[in-house]
Amino acid sequence: MSEEVLVELRHVHKKFTTRHVLPVDEETRKRRLFKKRDVHAAKDISFTIRRGEIFGLLGPNGAGKTTAVKMISGLVRPDSGNVFVNGLDVEKKRRRILRMVGVVLEGTRTSLWPLTPLENLIYYGTLKDVPGALLRPRAHDLLDFIGLKDKKNIQVRRLSRGQKQKLAICIALIADPQVLLLDEPTTGLDVLSGRAIKDKVMEMTREQGRSVLVTTHDMHVAQELCDRIAIINNGEMIACRRTDELLDLFSEQVFVFKLNQPIDPSEFSLIPGIVSAKMEEGSEGPALVVQVVREPETLRSEALYAVPARLRQSGCLLHAVSQRQQNLESVFLHLTDSAVTR
Amino acid sequence: MSFFRVMKAEVVRSFIIMRRYWFRTLTGMVIGYGMLMVLIAGFIYSKGGAGDKISQFDNPAAATNFVLGFIIGMFAFGVVGMFTQGLQSMATTGVLEQLCMSPHGLAVNFMAQTMVGAVSTIISSGILVYAVTWSVGGMLHWDMFPILVLLTLTFFNLVGFGFMVGGLVLVFKQVGQIAIIVRMVLFALAVFAREEILNQPWPLRLFLHMLPITDATISIKYVLSGGQMVEKITASGETIQEFSSVFTHPSFYWLIASCIVWTVVGLTVFRILEDYSRSKGTLGSY
Repeated sequence: MSEEVLVELRHVHKKFTTRHVLPVDEETRKRRLFKKRDVHAAKDISFTIRRGEIFGLLGPNGAGKTTAVKMISGLVRPDSGNVFVNGLDVEKKRRRILRMVGVVLEGTRTSLWPLTPLENLIYYGTLKDVPGALLRPRAHDLLDFIGLKDKKNIQVRRLSRGQKQKLAICIALIADPQVLLLDEPTTGLDVLSGRAIKDKVMEMTREQGRSVLVTTHDMHVAQELCDRIAIINNGEMIACRRTDELLDLFSEQVFVFKLNQPIDPSEFSLIPGIVSAKMEEGSEGPALVVQVVREPETLRSEALYAVPARLRQSGCLLHAVSQRQQNLESVFLHLTDSAVTR
Repeated sequence: MSFFRVMKAEVVRSFIIMRRYWFRTLTGMVIGYGMLMVLIAGFIYSKGGAGDKISQFDNPAAATNFVLGFIIGMFAFGVVGMFTQGLQSMATTGVLEQLCMSPHGLAVNFMAQTMVGAVSTIISSGILVYAVTWSVGGMLHWDMFPILVLLTLTFFNLVGFGFMVGGLVLVFKQVGQIAIIVRMVLFALAVFAREEILNQPWPLRLFLHMLPITDATISIKYVLSGGQMVEKITASGETIQEFSSVFTHPSFYWLIASCIVWTVVGLTVFRILEDYSRSKGTLGSY
């Protein structure tokens, strides 16, 4: 992955006004049909995507992920702040930028169903100014790359949902963009189709050097695919780190001690540096789950050394010790929960 | 250059669809022919008593006029519809956002799509008009040059108007429903437009002139149905038919004026509202 920044969002704000139908006011018996409410889709969002990087935007429904994609592709204009692609401001050089960006929006029928995949690629390639001599060979190459070669002459309406999604990615790639924006690329797909799309995204990033922005609420997709992840909630960015760093955020706190017999966990809670201790009964027998403080490091180490000593005193046999691995889901829930309670 | 590339893509797309669904294209024309014949029969039979029926058939000029108005009305209905219902359905399917992301811009894409759609409508309508007028025993004066000029002006007139309505649909999707009424008015006006309807007080007359179909229909009927002939009374009191080019007809000048106005207004409004809909984020909503 290079250090060259291809996409940059700088202090972007976007607010939408929505209208809600209201019931009759009980006191005045008057009916106000609509009430306007402001919804923040982006509150001071800033991030960068480097060349050859897969960047994930993670967030619950309505968090503002799609709005971010649409702002990069020029479909939505930010209220304030700037969006740059390859150093060019999207608002000032929109048409030039559209030649550098390929977009697959979620749940939309990007392709024209009466046409075949090959005809769709030729159509969209012409609209995107791909030179005639390059267009047909590139269309064939893309269909081959994505695995639709044997379906190239079948009308799109006869294709499965996964195949249509693959075609949507081909359409986004037809102008050979440097940046690919994928909005929920695996939503609604079966395991095999989802896997195939993830593999292709990996391939086009690692081998072809494109930058990819993936929005998703599927933690597995994000964890498997992304080099870096930003978590947004209610338009606010609550974390932006490398995926492994994000997973490490909370993982070092929880340790599992597998024992030969159950033990009263309350006495462990009294050890300085231990936040909580509880017994869990798993398939491999009883386990003492201990959460320790993250800092100071010395206190944490002392607490961890104290646990085996106390177990020995109690006559308990220790089979194994492991650090509980966090998955992105728990990190996400932790972060979004703390954002809500803040 | 940009426009022609988009145009090429649209021509290929339309041709593929027309060829792939040739049976639908063909049956569409047969149904259109049948519908028109039934309408003409109903139109003629609804006039006067039973004794007049045969004489109405003996004077096919009225039927020819009606057919022409009907076809022009359908054309107007279709062109404006591409900007309203067409745009709404594109927003629903997601194709609209794809077109917005084309480096040529939405307006150029739309113009090309409409132009290709209009050309195929003109060809199929031409065949239909010929078939129906031949069936009712009427005669059309296929004076190609004026017809092409008039059709081009009519097209840009309707496209300009369509762009304005389409721009409103981009921001307020519900306008599409109101636009159906506007399209029906244009259709009705095209069916019944003749020079006599302009004999109104000036504000109403001006309003009729500014509607994109009034003078277009009058001019086209003047050429195709009337053969650009006007009645003149000689000094001896005799009534004679004399050739008078449509290019000297007042409706032709009104058509040029409204064409310029609607094209400029339509494109300006569309660009402003396209920009506004990007701010509001309503491009992909429906």
